Amino acid sequence: MLLTCRLLTQFETVEPGQFVHVDTGPERTFRRPFSVAGVTPAGEVELLIELRGGGTRALAELPVGASLTMMGPLGRGFTLVDARAAGAPSRAAESDPRAAGAAPRAAGAAPRAAVVAGGIGVAGVRLLAQRLFESGVDTSLFVGARTADALLDATLPEPDAVRVATDDGSRGFHGTVCDLFTAESVDLPGNTTVYGCGPRAMLDALAVVAGERGMACELSLEEMMACGVGACRGCVVSTVDGYRTVCKDGPVFNASVLVPEGSAMEVAGG
Amino acid sequence: MVDLSITVAGLKLATPLMLASGTVGYGPEYDGLIDFTRVGAIVTKTVTPRPRAGNTPPRLAETRGGMLNSIGLENVGLDGFLSEKLAEAGRLPTLVIASVAGETPDEFASLCEAVGERGETAGLELNVSCPNVKRARRPLWADPDGVAAVVTAARRATDKPLFLKLSPNAADVRSVAEAGEAAGADALVVANTLPGMRIDVTTRAPMLGNRFGGLSGPALLPVNLALVWKLSDSVGIPIVGSGGIERTEDALEYMMAGASAFQVGTALFRSPSVVDQIVDGLAKHAVTDGINCLSGYTGAAKEVETPCQRTRAD
Ligand SMILES: Cc1cc2nc3c(=O)[nH]c(=O)nc-3n(C[C@H](O)[C@H](O)[C@H](O)COP(=O)(O)OP(=O)(O)OC[C@H]3O[C@@H](n4cnc5c(N)ncnc54)[C@H](O)[C@@H]3O)c2cc1C
Ligand SMILES: Cc1cc2nc3c(=O)[nH]c(=O)nc-3n(C[C@H](O)[C@H](O)[C@H](O)COP(=O)(O)O)c2cc1C
Ligand code: FES
Repeated sequence: MLLTCRLLTQFETVEPGQFVHVDTGPERTFRRPFSVAGVTPAGEVELLIELRGGGTRALAELPVGASLTMMGPLGRGFTLVDARAAGAPSRAAESDPRAAGAAPRAAGAAPRAAVVAGGIGVAGVRLLAQRLFESGVDTSLFVGARTADALLDATLPEPDAVRVATDDGSRGFHGTVCDLFTAESVDLPGNTTVYGCGPRAMLDALAVVAGERGMACELSLEEMMACGVGACRGCVVSTVDGYRTVCKDGPVFNASVLVPEGSAMEVAGG
Repeated sequence: MVDLSITVAGLKLATPLMLASGTVGYGPEYDGLIDFTRVGAIVTKTVTPRPRAGNTPPRLAETRGGMLNSIGLENVGLDGFLSEKLAEAGRLPTLVIASVAGETPDEFASLCEAVGERGETAGLELNVSCPNVKRARRPLWADPDGVAAVVTAARRATDKPLFLKLSPNAADVRSVAEAGEAAGADALVVANTLPGMRIDVTTRAPMLGNRFGGLSGPALLPVNLALVWKLSDSVGIPIVGSGGIERTEDALEYMMAGASAFQVGTALFRSPSVVDQIVDGLAKHAVTDGINCLSGYTGAAKEVETPCQRTRAD
């Protein structure tokens, strides 16, 4: 479902990957976070929403013209590679010595981008893909879903350029979007930045592949949220620096700082 | 114009609405979302002597009529609090009450001394009630002698007002409250969360990484309200009501049961503007009821004579 929202107070700027926190009614204690999937020329915010439970259903049932309360844009978004700055590492990689050291870059070659999204993760990278195309970055798009019906490639700015994968093989590559990326990224240069959004297992797998290829990688994560502004410490994920909040420190993290889910390195409770 | 200010434990609060520990962080997280001039005081996230990583995620679950949290007192620790967070909180146009928790009376005392001597600190809240921290023997919040020792130690360490935050989970909350009062607490906060859990039937696993968490939100209101009613009969110090307040009428219930002020926590998550709604509503009610200061509501449901204490500013 695509929800287009006219705002009473315009957002000054939106970084791709940032989200809004939406009040879906008094039946639910928490707001629901949704990525800003697009901004129209008139400044309206577009949300791409998959129906899951009560909150998303309540939004789907709203009549056209209904009013909603949301706050945003929240969190830290993706760092855009700069097409003009040949060989320039991304801002996130620069501030993180681990990432900068890990990614050898072809001197002089313009940096490239690969955007990899699974399921509703497309919502989290739609604005990013648009900004990358606008700024002239050579960008490859990979989109996966369980079935052909669930594929959201058509919502992206250049749908014809998208390579698709389905778990059941009903369209495109038969397998996960990460497998597709692995097969097709062999030819991409080391100065490609990989951007990912989707289920956590897919993102952890993507981080491994990007790491093997020496590519910088940024991932957008999901966690259940209460406050949405870094106050309650409810939405944390494990990083090499300890727990970090998805709502404020993320939702986008440099893959090199994330501790894969279920790994022994995860911070012990205490 | 109704005077919304209220005096609790010697502190003059702009309104009886306080923001509950753990739900507002250190304050600045909500800058621009909450009008802090309408907040009587914020209670900062409970600080412990050393930084705590907190519990394994997931740490949040929704429930009908509320939520569970198992944050596990993740906080920056005393040094980080003193060097950074307290000053940030102090810049907000409201009073700062610092919540502290130690393992022993000595730890409570050193926390109170270090935090209490700072100008930003208007008062201290002793958190003896967190359900998310495991203890070896009987939990502190259920132990009147243990609580008395903590309050006594804290009392020696600071002259600032001491708010003792109780757990609704103690079998004999009254004994704990009376022990706290006798040991020198200036006010009681009634009360913290109740323990609870939820299970995801698809994965057949508890929804919280820590399995159990604290229940907050509207589901908690009747439980803590009854405690306020009972405790206000047996202690003389003021009571701050807490648990499930999301509307003006909820706050008034706590006041009419005997609370002098109240705290709002979980309701902020759905709507930070709940602060304005509750405070505007209090002013409207007071006008309708012909009450010129809000302390007139305290204990009103008990049909006892409650003299309206005019505040010093008048
Ligand atoms: C930063 C961020 C951006 C997001 N962007 C989008 C987006 O653009 N489009 C979109 O459709 N969804 C997005 N999500 C997920 C979306 O927030 C959840 O699908 C939504 O909260 C479910 O609400 P509900 O009331 O319909 O379902 P519920 O009844 O709350 O839950 C249904 C199922 O969804 C799971 N769930 C609930 N909350 C979350 C959550 N916050 N993250 C992951 N799973 C959850 C539950 O465990 C349950 O299995 C995003 C999540 C985050 C954290
Ligand atoms: C996410 C979360 C974190 C909390 N952390 C603390 C804490 O650190 N210290 C404390 O004394 N109470 C803590 N509490 C309890 C609240 O301060 C409050 O007493 C309780 O939630 C009941 O009020 P409410 O229903 O208005 O939220 C926390 C509650 C929540 C929801
Ligand atoms: S949701 Fe409260 S810290 Fe992220």
